[in-house]
Amino acid sequence: MMFEPKRLHPISAVLNFAKGLKDAILPIVAIFFFNGNSEGGFLGWLPLILTGVFLLIILIGGVVKWLRFVYWIDEGELRIEHGLLFRKKRYIPLERIQSLDFSEGILHRPFQLVKVSIETAATSGLEAEAVLTAIKRLDAKELEKTIYQQKSDPSSAESDAEIIEETSRSLVYQMTTKDLILMAVTSGGAGVVISGVAVFLSQITEFLPVGAIYNEVVNWLQFGVVIAGVIAAFVLIIAYGLAVILTILRFGNFSVFHEGDDLVITRGLLEKKQVTIPLNRIQGIRIDENIVRQPLGFATVSIISAGGSVKEGADQQFKILPFIKRDQIEPVLTSILPQYELEVSPESPPKRAKRRYVFRCIWLPLLISIGVSVFFWPLGLLSFIMIPAFIGLGMLNYRDAGWNIREKQLMLSNRLITKQTYFIKKHRIQSCQFSRSIPEQRGRLSSIEVMVKTGAGKTRARCLYLDQDDSETIMSWFQTK
Amino acid sequence: MNAPTKQISKRALSLWRVHGCISTGISVIVAVAVLVLTNLFSWPVWPSLVIGAVILLEIIFSIWLIPSIRWERLRYEVREQEIDYQYGLFIVKRTLIPMVRVQHVDTEQGPLLRKYRLATISISTAATVHKIPALDETEAEELRRSISSLARVAEDDV
Repeated sequence: MMFEPKRLHPISAVLNFAKGLKDAILPIVAIFFFNGNSEGGFLGWLPLILTGVFLLIILIGGVVKWLRFVYWIDEGELRIEHGLLFRKKRYIPLERIQSLDFSEGILHRPFQLVKVSIETAATSGLEAEAVLTAIKRLDAKELEKTIYQQKSDPSSAESDAEIIEETSRSLVYQMTTKDLILMAVTSGGAGVVISGVAVFLSQITEFLPVGAIYNEVVNWLQFGVVIAGVIAAFVLIIAYGLAVILTILRFGNFSVFHEGDDLVITRGLLEKKQVTIPLNRIQGIRIDENIVRQPLGFATVSIISAGGSVKEGADQQFKILPFIKRDQIEPVLTSILPQYELEVSPESPPKRAKRRYVFRCIWLPLLISIGVSVFFWPLGLLSFIMIPAFIGLGMLNYRDAGWNIREKQLMLSNRLITKQTYFIKKHRIQSCQFSRSIPEQRGRLSSIEVMVKTGAGKTRARCLYLDQDDSETIMSWFQTK
Repeated sequence: MNAPTKQISKRALSLWRVHGCISTGISVIVAVAVLVLTNLFSWPVWPSLVIGAVILLEIIFSIWLIPSIRWERLRYEVREQEIDYQYGLFIVKRTLIPMVRVQHVDTEQGPLLRKYRLATISISTAATVHKIPALDETEAEELRRSISSLARVAEDDV
């Protein structure tokens, strides 16, 4: 059982060593290649010896760290003691533990081990409250069970079969292989676009007006452009391929479970990860539709959670449905978050706001084009051909902006490149702001933004250039109890 | 929806003008240095002209216009349910902070603020911090007390 002080699995000594090596790699390399004088003898061997000593210290450090690290459960607390010279003790009351996150690296898997990160409400910044580098998977399950029992019924901490039965997990969502591959292929969205542009550019140089005087120059230019284009395309294709493989490795076997009051996400082919999100820490839902996936009808659903450290899910918005058909979101989410209504018809900003959306997208490119044209006259004028694309983006931004109020729920959507739709409950909104610039004031427009807590920071949801009356509707909705 | 009505002390306006004077003073020192150097080494005239223009703009904007606009725009109101706060220069922003979201309130006072008997109050929620600058000392103190008595954070909402 857990009530005896326990060591981590010996493999954690190796993991400590690897981590120490990673942290000290620069000095080691520096020492190794430091060759003050090329004479033989003792001085010639010095770098090698130093490197050896260094490695030995790190190795011993790793082993000692493992030897001195013990953990156990006692009096409703998870107790951890570690350190050689300074003995450090950390006692975490079990009911304070918000979630246990599991991950399995390549070294963990042959020995049925997991790495456990323990998160409490106090966890903020980069580090988890406590990390058990490598323990047996069974022990981890045991730990999870004990903590759960402690939280649900502190009086009877001893194992109770019925409770365990109740908390068995049910599968909510599992990503299909087809979706996984589609997701990986569209994940390098930017890469696809850039390589497309590169091909387009190398084509366009063929059609450049070739004046007799410029012939030589243009020839040379074309050659340069073609070479650069080919190299760039090559690099992009490799980078894209890598991105695809990495995405498949990271999101393979992606499934979401519902377990008691928690959501549990497991994913990863090589390195298995398990993240637990307590349902009552969920602040809102965000749906992302990027420019490549939106036409295909796919979206990403993230959960905005107030708990946990930043390093796990990027900026603490856990992707719970990383790649899903837009119309399948609702059935999946209603089973776990029934209080959210996702199928709402948004209200749009008024027609007169369209100009402002377009202006917002083109002022910077316009300035850049003018600058480029002045410095590279007349070829720089070509930069103006990208302006229509930005006008199009502005129109798209206008089309995708919207808001909706459904009882206690606010929906705001906006797009810069990726369309983001937020669903937030009123009691999760920390503050609500509306703002009007001078041109907005003239057009009776105003922008709305609300703040929500995320991990150690905050998330902003907003919608720009709404009708004055609509903004006031939202503000007074927010004011009423 | 009517804008909040309370305005901050008139002394804040003088304080901001003093801030403007300080930054203009720094520019003037730079300008004098450049003038001296121009005379000594017969530099071209345009740097002096540019700095002269900057000083003129600073006098117009940071001493005269910006403090008055900012002061005129800045309004607040503390109600039982929420704090209503409006601020801004060219973009007017209006923020509502529900009382149940307020985690704590602080007042702070630098040396200049103390000289003018002013204080800045910052209202923190779980995610955001809102600062109302340059309130009258006693008013800030009163506000801090009333907000912290009204604020009742609903713990499970975060």
